[in-house]
Amino acid sequence: MIKKIKATTAEKIIFYFLILLAILTFSTFFIIKNKCLFVKNYDPQKINFDKPNNIAILNATCGNVIIELYPNVSPNSVKRFKKLIISGAYKDIAFHRVIENKLIQAGDLEFGRKGSLNYGKIGTGKSGLGSIKSEVDNKFDYKKGSVGLARTFRNDTEDSQFFIVLQDEPLFEGEYTPVGRVLYGLEVLKKIKYQRHSEYILRPDFINSFKMLN
Amino acid sequence: MIILRLILLIFIWITPVYGNSIYNLIKIPNLEIYEINTENRLRYLYAKSSFRLGVQKNIICENSNKKDLDNKYNLIYKNLNKYSYNFLKKINLKYIVLCENLSISGINAAGIPDNVMKTLILDVKFEQKYFERVIHHEVFHIINDQHKELFNNNEWKKFNDSQFRYAKCSTCTENLGLDKYENTKGFFTEYSKSTVSEDMAEVYSHLIYLDAEKIKQIQKLDKILNKKISYIKNKIQIIDSSFKF
Repeated sequence: MIKKIKATTAEKIIFYFLILLAILTFSTFFIIKNKCLFVKNYDPQKINFDKPNNIAILNATCGNVIIELYPNVSPNSVKRFKKLIISGAYKDIAFHRVIENKLIQAGDLEFGRKGSLNYGKIGTGKSGLGSIKSEVDNKFDYKKGSVGLARTFRNDTEDSQFFIVLQDEPLFEGEYTPVGRVLYGLEVLKKIKYQRHSEYILRPDFINSFKMLN
Repeated sequence: MIILRLILLIFIWITPVYGNSIYNLIKIPNLEIYEINTENRLRYLYAKSSFRLGVQKNIICENSNKKDLDNKYNLIYKNLNKYSYNFLKKINLKYIVLCENLSISGINAAGIPDNVMKTLILDVKFEQKYFERVIHHEVFHIINDQHKELFNNNEWKKFNDSQFRYAKCSTCTENLGLDKYENTKGFFTEYSKSTVSEDMAEVYSHLIYLDAEKIKQIQKLDKILNKKISYIKNKIQIIDSSFKF
């Protein structure tokens, strides 16, 4: 006859502790692995916009980023930006320059495409459509979420590359051509891969799609 | 050597990136915003701690205390507010850096203009007596650098007596006085005699700083300065026809 051994209180506590530890370890593993777990993914179809024709949806790893474009602030630049969005040029393009909680940059159509990334030249590529003039005279408050066109050291060299600021950047006004602002999905941008020791990203995240709402 | 490289690599690896917007824009470290909400959209920055610039780090400037900054800022703002946003855009000036004990290769300087970086560094501790006028002197260097095609050295030299020769460079002479001559004889100051561009800058700064009546008087009395003043006025009008002296 097998004698039933009753667990002591201490043994019970250790047992429950081990189970709890196992659950925590298991769940933490999935939380860490899934960086998008707590990021809200906005569905643009469920949101009413004042100017739906100026709404662009950028889809990244953790969901949608909904951007309102401002053709009244920078007409030519927004026209170029829209043209590239509509043509699908930004699909599979890398977020090649990311500074944690500060800025993300993408849009190198020449050297930033998935499958043919050129780490030596990324950030210097062109669209093939030529440079456009900077539009920096209109007042624009570079608040968190503002979208601007990147350029080289000189003005009037904007092309396809754009950046989104993740914090207020008052000094950018008058320096960089603004094209819009993020309405929803800043958290998605904060989850884009960055490196603590470099602005330029090795094995970066990519734009899944970038489309106009209408 | 390998260990040293390894340590260096580890150091680079663990050093986080802090995007510094000011540094990214004008390549001067240790700056912070002093005032950016101005009518003509000039951005005033100040040195939080001293900085060194240049390939050989030969440009040095130190941080100022707040009281000095506040005092001098009002003066600088008053003087630079004379320039419109449109004019500043045409001459490529946007950032004013305030610091003290500014020097280039050990030689003290009132200001260092850099039209490429749209920046003018000003020494807030520069001699009070000349301070306001010197601001415009430095602004002229920005104008000159941005519109080199307009300002012709040979044309300018012809205004002077045929016997007169400028020094080889602005610091190649001991004659660096900034006091205005009583009897001008073609030059506003001793420093005007150093180089063509310094002469032009001295004419321009007096043109802005002195009142219109005084300038008229000088033009009547000094034929050479009359030509120089007309030359500068004419060139500035080409850059911006709405510019008011």
